[in-house]
Amino acid sequence: MGDKPRIGVYGFTGCAGCQLAIIDCEDQLADIFAAADIKVFYEASSSNDYDAEVDVALVEGSINTDKQLEELNYIRRKAKILIAFGSCAHHGCVQGMALGDGNWEERWRKVYGDIKMEVAQPMEAQPLHKFVKVDGWIPGCAPNTTQMLRAITSLLNGHLPTYTNSPVCLECKFKENDCLLTKGQLCLGPLTMGGCGAACPSHNTPCIGCWGVIEEANHQAELKKLIKEGFTEEEIIRRFRLFAGSDYVDKVKKLLEEV
Amino acid sequence: MKEINVKHLARVEGDGGITVEIDGDQVKKVNVDIFEGPRLIEALAEGKNPMEAASFTPRICAICTVSHKNASIRASERAVKFEEPKKTYYTRELMHMGEMVESHSLHVFALALPDFLDGGYPNVIAMVPKYGDIVKQALALKKFGNRMMQVLNGKFIHGENATPGGFGRFPSKEELIEFKNTALNFIEFMCTATDIFAGIPMPAHLERDTEYWACNMKDYDGKERFGFWGDELICTDGTIIPSEDYNKHLIERVVPHSMAKRSLYKERPFSVGALARLLTIGERLTGKALEYYKKYVKPEWKKNIIFNNHAQAVEIIFCLERIPELVDILLAMPEDPAMTKPTRTEGRGVGAVEAPRGLLIHDYTYANGLIAKANIITPTAFNLDDCEAFIRKSAETLNKEGKEVDFMRFEFEKIARAYDPCISCATHLVKVFKK
Repeated sequence: MGDKPRIGVYGFTGCAGCQLAIIDCEDQLADIFAAADIKVFYEASSSNDYDAEVDVALVEGSINTDKQLEELNYIRRKAKILIAFGSCAHHGCVQGMALGDGNWEERWRKVYGDIKMEVAQPMEAQPLHKFVKVDGWIPGCAPNTTQMLRAITSLLNGHLPTYTNSPVCLECKFKENDCLLTKGQLCLGPLTMGGCGAACPSHNTPCIGCWGVIEEANHQAELKKLIKEGFTEEEIIRRFRLFAGSDYVDKVKKLLEEV
Repeated sequence: MKEINVKHLARVEGDGGITVEIDGDQVKKVNVDIFEGPRLIEALAEGKNPMEAASFTPRICAICTVSHKNASIRASERAVKFEEPKKTYYTRELMHMGEMVESHSLHVFALALPDFLDGGYPNVIAMVPKYGDIVKQALALKKFGNRMMQVLNGKFIHGENATPGGFGRFPSKEELIEFKNTALNFIEFMCTATDIFAGIPMPAHLERDTEYWACNMKDYDGKERFGFWGDELICTDGTIIPSEDYNKHLIERVVPHSMAKRSLYKERPFSVGALARLLTIGERLTGKALEYYKKYVKPEWKKNIIFNNHAQAVEIIFCLERIPELVDILLAMPEDPAMTKPTRTEGRGVGAVEAPRGLLIHDYTYANGLIAKANIITPTAFNLDDCEAFIRKSAETLNKEGKEVDFMRFEFEKIARAYDPCISCATHLVKVFKK
């Protein structure tokens, strides 16, 4: 066991899909368990050493209770490398769609009423980097198998995972799909990080932006095109809000003013 | 007070915990604690259109993503009146089969079976040296379920191909034939595996009377059959209600020790899931699935949630037999229907489906084409009260028998895991306090 990299897989607020993406590597699961010294992986195993130091912490989910924040700080102290594992950990994903709009308490009351929680104190969901230093990122909602294996292989060999630095739109072109934007659909492919192989546009359904926004893109051209197709600013912002994280929504608002 | 603290309940999807306090011969407290991060999905659903709701609500849970997708689609299509063409209906059912096969095979073989073989294994990989063939086949079966979801929903986890109005892309003839042949190839393995599971003695210390709820499945033409959704709900006490009246009968409440809501029927807890389906509509099964239903389902199953594991195994057999039927139905309909559109902008719709771990409800009220109010109840929320009740019964029995705390803790974990809970977003914690 001695020389194998020690790995911990941890989950916070999300759908547990990033951890499931590891279990979904059916053909390689036994190899992964053999190549790494897996210290913590609650979703897959009941043999866990929560207090162990680890070389790599794969942390799924965003943080939205005081207890989770305590645990995240603890994991950060135990881990040499901390990876934001998936969209929730990286930029907040769906539960972060309204982050910072000032209405969180109203939403809380709508769902839970006036009850006082004993288990933990809830707060608005935020991505990991708002609280701790994050060393790397595995994008995806959820990461696909190819990407998972590439990332895990990199980490097992002492490298940080790399990600696709081109948009979904490029992968869609490579597949020679009909462009959904030109068919008047609200497709976020030109602005969304690739790596999924243009999964949704390849099924004639528009990209919803679930892997987060790619910086290197012509944001203004996309927004102009969408306005020209007759989408309202409200619709465009609403669509971005679903997955892109609140930081990016502010940027879109500014760009829309310019457009 | 004697205190035993097992930090995490493992091999469940998401994070949850159990606290049991025993004082002498009294079981003082049984709490299934959910520290679930409150994501407030229902509040966030407000202001969304049908397509957006179907995109983001499945993010509630990775392993039930297709169930959430179908529930969201059904709620929106009923609320603002989309037409559902026959081919769309059956393709959705086929997609649902993919999730059932994937989720059930993951739970039965990788999450539950390690509890029962040879006194317990920590995980499925640890079973490989002795049970390599079963593990290999089980993972191949799980992969098949994923393959179906990838083709039919666009990705293993959180695809977008299925949307209100239809499918972006319908499966090809070749893909359908591949599904049929693969399913047929797994039936024998699944029957053998079910026999193995059924041959392992199961604990009886949790036995108690309770009721179960499931969807009253009807076919496209309205004929009753076994399956995973319905506009009616059916109870083991014989009661049948329209799905949209769920909130008049299955009363939701909030408790301070759980971020997940709870539900009661006639002021008593109840259960949902594979066992609930077999106990309510199981006699509608056909073929091998019916044979296995008759062979193994006994009156004591109704008193013991551990048999939810076995019920899932029988349901995998059902799915493997249903997939070829669905393929034949779809092959006879070569024309792909066009995407249908909403025909009104206001109204309420309830989408009731059976997720692998039980009844799932999406309830949307639309105004001006956007959701004005949403309520979503997940199977684990329905199950938590009954899960506590089974653990309480188990604690009382085992405490009377003078069992060690370590033994009791493992038994409580087995009960919680039998529900195949899907408590995405919470911290795992099992605590047993004994005075």
